[in-house]
Amino acid sequence: MIKINETAWAAMVAHAEAAYPNECCGAMIGQTTIGTIDGDVKSVTIAEALENAYAGAQGARYELRPEDLLAADKKARAAGLDLIGIFHSHPDCDAYFSKTDLENSCPWYSFVVLSVKGGKFDHANSFLPNAEQTVAEKEELIWPKS
Amino acid sequence: MAKVLIPTPLRQFTEKNDSVELAGATVAEVMAALTQKFPDLRKQLFNDEGKMRSFVNVYLNDEDIRYLQKDATAVAAGDTLSIVPSIAGGAAVREVERTLPVRPAGGV
Ligand SMILES: [Zn+2]
Repeated sequence: MIKINETAWAAMVAHAEAAYPNECCGAMIGQTTIGTIDGDVKSVTIAEALENAYAGAQGARYELRPEDLLAADKKARAAGLDLIGIFHSHPDCDAYFSKTDLENSCPWYSFVVLSVKGGKFDHANSFLPNAEQTVAEKEELIWPKS
Repeated sequence: MAKVLIPTPLRQFTEKNDSVELAGATVAEVMAALTQKFPDLRKQLFNDEGKMRSFVNVYLNDEDIRYLQKDATAVAAGDTLSIVPSIAGGAAVREVERTLPVRPAGGV
């Protein structure tokens, strides 16, 4: 399960809506509590907006610069927190994990996808891709409802 | 000894250590020492043919080893190696019909 707090969620939605009609991306920082009643719970307290580095049209593509991810990881370590997830948006498209998402994923992080329709946040889902980049399991995602 | 920074999700394979000090003269040697010390880490970083998985990048201090001498890059005492994934994607359904201009690069 991944839970996103109000501050982090507001930053993610703002970044996704500002990037519309392009895809946005960013890093999620927080802590993981192992073995609660709900299993392992990842709590996201900081969302770091990162630049979409995809060189072509960004309406349906995103790319994270590894350098930016490394910087986000260092920032998390310095705060005594962990880099636990990646988020990106799907403009005018549902929050599913596409073939392109899967083929360019990494099994170590939660992948939160935000659907933005007509410039406004619509819904979101979280996914856990496998190491072979063949399947992404859906993960329970909890965000503060307004 | 060089220091290897371990990403959070991989610490379950490194006895919860967030960094590991290892000996080795090159990146390949340090990475081999790392996966010898923590064998379960091996399949996270390398595929069945023993090649580093496509999404795994290694940085020596702040430089991508692909732009140095790849895994033959020399490692000195006190250097820090970071394991950083490549991540990209996209909804990829309307690329052809979309004619919207690309926004200038720049985060928010
Ligand atoms: Zn996507």
